[in-house]
Amino acid sequence: MLKSSKLPQPVKLCVLIAVMISVYLIIAIPFKVMSVIPGFTDIRPVMLLKPVYGIFFGIPGCIAFAVGNLIGDIISDSLRWSSIAGFAANFLGPFVFYFFRLKIFKNSFHLRTGKDILKLLAVTIISSVIEAGIITPAVMLTYSGVDSALLFLTIMLNGTVFPVMLGIPLMILMQEELRFEFYY
Amino acid sequence: MNKLQANICLICVTLCWSTEVIIFSCIPDDVLPFATTFICNAIASLILAACFFRRIKREIRRSGKKLILRCLFLGVLNCIYNILYLYGLKHFDVSSGAFTFSMTVVVLPVVLITMKKTVGAKTWVSVALVLSGIIIALGGNLANLSIVGLILMLLGCIFRAVFIVKLNDYAGEHDSISLSVFISVFVSALSFVIWFVLQPETFASIPWSGTIIASLFIYAYFIIAFAQTLNIFAQKRATATEATIIYSLEIVFSLIWGTVLPETLIDRATLTPFNITGAILIVAGSIIEIIEFKGKRGLKSDVEKQ
Repeated sequence: MLKSSKLPQPVKLCVLIAVMISVYLIIAIPFKVMSVIPGFTDIRPVMLLKPVYGIFFGIPGCIAFAVGNLIGDIISDSLRWSSIAGFAANFLGPFVFYFFRLKIFKNSFHLRTGKDILKLLAVTIISSVIEAGIITPAVMLTYSGVDSALLFLTIMLNGTVFPVMLGIPLMILMQEELRFEFYY
Repeated sequence: MNKLQANICLICVTLCWSTEVIIFSCIPDDVLPFATTFICNAIASLILAACFFRRIKREIRRSGKKLILRCLFLGVLNCIYNILYLYGLKHFDVSSGAFTFSMTVVVLPVVLITMKKTVGAKTWVSVALVLSGIIIALGGNLANLSIVGLILMLLGCIFRAVFIVKLNDYAGEHDSISLSVFISVFVSALSFVIWFVLQPETFASIPWSGTIIASLFIYAYFIIAFAQTLNIFAQKRATATEATIIYSLEIVFSLIWGTVLPETLIDRATLTPFNITGAILIVAGSIIEIIEFKGKRGLKSDVEKQ
């Protein structure tokens, strides 16, 4: 609908990013009640949006994902120095998927075979390692009392389990049934 | 959506359903299940209707009264089996109750046969494996199971099996999102009537808090708006038996949550050799049903003929 509207391109882009941030927050905020390490990390099904934003919306999707995470931190009173690293990690997470769509799938991305799904699984793991690799040292540098292994594991699990178990079916639904096209 | 994608979607649906216990642990016990069912289904139907208004309008124009009546029928079935499960589960401990809940997989082929549909050899093998998984997991508790509880659960499983078979039939004929919205509307309306009868104060009886509101929203958009709709889309490609066998994985996911998640989120599950073996057999039964066997030595494909 937004793609076919007559609005100027920068306005369209701002509206798209605002909508994506809103969707991110609507999913993320209620889960703040389920905390694993209070103030640092929780169960985050919102990570299912990581491949969706990266693959279908490109750079605007990556920006929305990172900004959404930052606003989520502010709203839930979790804003700390490590949120800067969180911002970078949450931009790079979906960006890995965008890069994967452009370079590996050459823009003809789909999830119709076991091979496609395995490729996406590998990219999800890479993306989660990058995120955990950025966030964990940043938290360790600023707050020494946190269990680094548990933090790394939680970030890895959040970044892998939800994109695979919920993100893949959502992308199948969007692409195969709702005929959703890549925005960027 | 191809067969592989449909099976992946069904696994995702089962995963979402298995988290129900985690979400509900945030809601106090004195909030009636009919209240949560009403609120969550109402929120989910509003979200879906707002997002897909044009699509639903088109489907109403195309199918009209037929769609509404079918959704009403499914909504009534859904309410009946939920009530039976609710009262049946009171006769069991958590673990035994969860495994008896998986009995639908055994009941469904029988329901299919009574509806004059054939069930393939592969399905019977899967059903046998899942059933033996359930029996082994129940282990020592088997002799102490309540007969009344078992009858209620069995009746619940029969109604659920009919629900799945009919949903599978209708999914091929109607728009999945419209089906999902109207099922939610009717489930919501019926639940409200029961809630009002049992607790006339309705909304005033709920001890509202941020956690309860958050849990209700999570349930509404993950378990109903997302999982239920995804389930109906997947059922267009998968057979009712495939769907039910994959649903039986719910108990396996629940065991995983009980083992992995912290005590602040869920009651920890104690792994015993019985429930581990049971879970392995359930997974094996599901894999056999999902995998396409090819060649002369393979089992015949499972085609449910009318």
